[in-house]
Amino acid sequence: MLKIWSMKQQQQQAENAEGAAGKKKKKVTAAQLRVQRDLQELTLGETMKMSFPNPDDILNFTLTIEPDEGMYKGGVFNFSFTVNQNFPHDPPKVKCTQKIYHPNIDLEGNVCLNILREDWKPVLNLNAVIVGMQFLFLEPNASDPLNKEAADDLRLNRDAFKRNVRTSMAGGSVRNVSFERVLR
Amino acid sequence: MATSVAVPLNEKGRWNHLYKVLSKPGPFSDEDWVPGEETINALESSKILGAGGLGCEILKNLALSGFKDIHVIDMGIADTIDISNLNRQFLFRQADIGKPKAEVAAAFVEKRVKGVKITPYVGKIQDKDEDYYMQFKIVICGLDSIEARRWINSTLIGMVDLENPESLKPLVDGGTEGRPPHSNYLNIQKLIVYTGFKGQARVILPTLSSCIECQLDMHAPRPAVPLCTIATIPRQPQHCIEWAHQIAWQEKRKDDTFDSDDMEHISWVYNTALERAQQFHIHGVTFQMTQGVVKNIIPAIASTNAVIAASTTSEVLKIATSCNPYLENYMMYAGEEGVYTYTFEAEKKADCPVCGNLARNMDVDPNMTLGDFIDSLGEKAEAQLKKPSMRTEEKTLYQRFPPQLEEHTRPNLVLKLSELLENGQEIAVSDPAYTIDFRFRLHFR
Amino acid sequence: MAPSPAALSGPTSKERKYDRQLRLWAATGQQALEDARVLLVNSDGPLGSSSTGVTGVAGVEALKNLVLPGIGGFTIVDPAIVTEADLGVNFFLEEASLGKSRADETCRLLRELNPDVQGYSYSKSITELLGDAEFLPRHKLVIISGPTKRSTLETLCETAQKLEIPVLYIHSVGFCATFSLQLPSEFPIVETHPDPESTQDLRLLHPWPELANAVASLGNLESMDDHQHGHVPYLLLLLRFLEQWKQSHEGNMPSNYKEKTEFREFVRSNARTENAEGGEENFDEAIAAVVKTISPFSLRSSIREIFEMPQCHQLTTTSADFWIIASAIRTFYNTHNVLPLPGSLPDMKAKSADYVALQNVYKKKARHDVEEVTATIRQLESDLGRTTLILDREVEVFCKNAAHIKVVRGRAIPQISNNSDAALLKAVRSGLQMPESLASLFIACQILDAVVDEIQSNPALHDGRSVDDDGLWIAHRDRILTSLTLGDPAAIDESALEGIDDAIQEVRRAEGGELHNIASLAGGLVAQESLKVLTRQYVPLDNTCVFDGARSRSEMYRF
Repeated sequence: MLKIWSMKQQQQQAENAEGAAGKKKKKVTAAQLRVQRDLQELTLGETMKMSFPNPDDILNFTLTIEPDEGMYKGGVFNFSFTVNQNFPHDPPKVKCTQKIYHPNIDLEGNVCLNILREDWKPVLNLNAVIVGMQFLFLEPNASDPLNKEAADDLRLNRDAFKRNVRTSMAGGSVRNVSFERVLR
Repeated sequence: MATSVAVPLNEKGRWNHLYKVLSKPGPFSDEDWVPGEETINALESSKILGAGGLGCEILKNLALSGFKDIHVIDMGIADTIDISNLNRQFLFRQADIGKPKAEVAAAFVEKRVKGVKITPYVGKIQDKDEDYYMQFKIVICGLDSIEARRWINSTLIGMVDLENPESLKPLVDGGTEGRPPHSNYLNIQKLIVYTGFKGQARVILPTLSSCIECQLDMHAPRPAVPLCTIATIPRQPQHCIEWAHQIAWQEKRKDDTFDSDDMEHISWVYNTALERAQQFHIHGVTFQMTQGVVKNIIPAIASTNAVIAASTTSEVLKIATSCNPYLENYMMYAGEEGVYTYTFEAEKKADCPVCGNLARNMDVDPNMTLGDFIDSLGEKAEAQLKKPSMRTEEKTLYQRFPPQLEEHTRPNLVLKLSELLENGQEIAVSDPAYTIDFRFRLHFR
Repeated sequence: MAPSPAALSGPTSKERKYDRQLRLWAATGQQALEDARVLLVNSDGPLGSSSTGVTGVAGVEALKNLVLPGIGGFTIVDPAIVTEADLGVNFFLEEASLGKSRADETCRLLRELNPDVQGYSYSKSITELLGDAEFLPRHKLVIISGPTKRSTLETLCETAQKLEIPVLYIHSVGFCATFSLQLPSEFPIVETHPDPESTQDLRLLHPWPELANAVASLGNLESMDDHQHGHVPYLLLLLRFLEQWKQSHEGNMPSNYKEKTEFREFVRSNARTENAEGGEENFDEAIAAVVKTISPFSLRSSIREIFEMPQCHQLTTTSADFWIIASAIRTFYNTHNVLPLPGSLPDMKAKSADYVALQNVYKKKARHDVEEVTATIRQLESDLGRTTLILDREVEVFCKNAAHIKVVRGRAIPQISNNSDAALLKAVRSGLQMPESLASLFIACQILDAVVDEIQSNPALHDGRSVDDDGLWIAHRDRILTSLTLGDPAAIDESALEGIDDAIQEVRRAEGGELHNIASLAGGLVAQESLKVLTRQYVPLDNTCVFDGARSRSEMYRF
């Protein structure tokens, strides 16, 4: 044991660091630090906004996307982000807080985006996720859907799909499922 | 150091075998090491903390290694004894099911081994603060989650105080969850992916050697199946179970919180998965598999637990007594094909977010405003942080982006540091000009 | 929805208790454990004046790890009486055990661990018990705690060998542990549990007609819409592109690394990129699988050796089932130049129905192969006049694992003496050549054995001598080294000798005593090997393991 401490002292001398600390306080966690950095490096553009219910808690926030082109133009979509202390080793958990008609988002708000699950890597950051989310509204993907009916519509009859998107965004029903009004 | 009674050496007593080894130098023990009484006293006065699912083995081994004051905390995912623990956690019996693990284990070992004091705490390691951890000489963990490991690692690293040798607590970690290091990292051909016969033991000297955070990349990540596969194109029985667990439950039983220990819940998931599997002509959904998938069960057997626990407690004995060199710093174990171990020194990462980024002390004027403080960081020759964002553990001090947070935190700029912080508090600073982040402990002048 | 009866009752309490291990060796492995009784020979008299004998903690710890997963029973043979020193190292003794039989007391406390396990104890020497010819055959495995008298060890090992009962001989001394496994001269294993990645056998270069049909029925890839194109299972993609490759390469498949790389680029060039995702996952999977899956079937040399063993050719009425099945599989191989298809299919991007259809093509072929092997077996059984037929399930498991079966040729517990086998001595010498070799600890334990053997064999002559007697250690070090080098000191180099002397110092430091941690670790390893031997699953040690607790590492040796 004593030997370990003398190693520490040697290391310290080599680094010639300053002297010691006072009373210990809680440390900023690795997850917080990483989110602080990720937030600072975001590029949000005109179509996205973030809000923080508790500004001191940067691990929980809402992202609002307002697509200015594509089939979902004119809608306002809210996603809750929950980042756990294992971030960036675990991906953030993202859910759509509204009931919307979208091939890659189910009626419970689950989002199918590869980097939120099977392709997540710690080197990815929040910006990558946000870009991916934005892309979902520009290019809904019919190939690997969560909402199979919406995907089938998109694949088989693009015009009908577009109409359904408009109807659902206005708060109407598609195939007997009623959706939330999300128009600006 | 606690007072202790001198022990007569070479006595034909209870600790005869242990004391023989502690009373003679070996070919690998350090030249400066003084065997005998002093070493034995050091051993007896070392207070040790044991944690995790390997706790039964660890407590037994520590008690029979001559330690007298042992504390135990957080003995696995559940605090209470479950029937599935009985095939390896040998201090528990059928009649103990439902009782708190730490208490039952502590009482058992105390009764069996004369003269040892074992103090249980029923709860999570995260329940305790630095003051609690400061009382121990060495912390030994057989925790089953990466999250808990990372927590204890960063806590012990944060406790290292240069003025106080006692603040450096060696962490000895053992695991049997069997996510082996990546083959490309170690360059070993013969890695086998399934678990049960696998584990690792490692010694971490906080701030001095490679830490758990430095080694995270070495472990294979949990494989995940795309959500859309589960939702629309299942192919495997596991996909059907995941669907029942993650999607159908949310839809049909929104108001019940899923509890993987509730038989009715598991049965519901099993039946729902079975129905979906039939619909897609997929074979192989079983009750056992359902439990395995929803509880993320990793096979576990007594022998692997024994091997890993004993290799960690052996390191604790060596660190506490210096009777032989301790492990530097990682031993991996695989037992499917004969007995295979690989011992190597994992590297300390310079850019480790935990041990590569220790807080530096900084003296500040408590009457300075946060805005002036930020300006001063930009002027400091060694830092030159031009566009920093910063926070404490509980407070966002100033965040430059996104605009919503900037607006919220802008009023802080005119506040005095003493209004925002306590003396000695740590802040973390990020600046786009640097790829690493900084931690400072601010001391009021 | 009405819950099915199975779900209502859930697993049995036994299944729940053993859940975490059943996931490793399944019900068949568990049954094998429950049918087994293990014998622990835990001491054989005092080690010398200063010691009451082997403390036997490693053996007791091994039993702990076997009682917990539920072996049928165990027997402890140990003439020792519990002393104060036992209590400081053995967890399965208590204050009240002092002065009582160590066999009885450890047996009693071990039984508490699992009410399903039977325990028996004998407070006498094993030599005495071996007088009863029925004693040893009650056991499926023998664990011996060393050091023990050479004569006892030899008698036990020879008797066990005749009965084909495996033996584990352990040393746990201070920071050092070593143990050797003696298996019957032939020890076949079907369920070796290889890495699932390495067991994939997809037969892409030689598709059978049904698989070829599955590719043909795909139709034209180019005319598919993006959705269909992106969901063709990669296996079928590879098969299709292989056909095309063959046509443009004079009927040859890509065979070397360069051609496989070219083929991979050919596959890549067929992926669609003008879609929302900018690529196709099934093509990515196909590209990643090229190197691994496109190679012709080749019989592993270890399987070829098994086919060539006389037991596989000269079948008799009493041949083990293993050899009857192996022989039938050899016939299958001789006919088809491949082994029976294992039939499992990795997961891959595909529509559910397409995947299941493809899976059925593989399953059906595997079933067909099993039927062919079974027909051969039935013919053999009838030719040999065997009346008890081999179970279908056994044939099925064998066919699934055919590429990974193993026959371990058991070796005797290694002992260095002047009549040791030359091959053993050579193996030990070459083990010593490795830098920082742990074979030195094996040798130190051999010397300890010799010292103890001398003290125990001539109690009158050595009265009052301790197990740490300098004279005895020097004499036996020289004797063992002379045996090892066959009298040629140059056969071991200087650094190996230094290693041996270090090992001797570390082993002598403990004076034959155990440290609990090392004993517990050794007990874990010994139990693990016991489980493999009893379940006949996974691959057991062949044949010696050394653990050095001072330097936290281990080595395996074939001595």
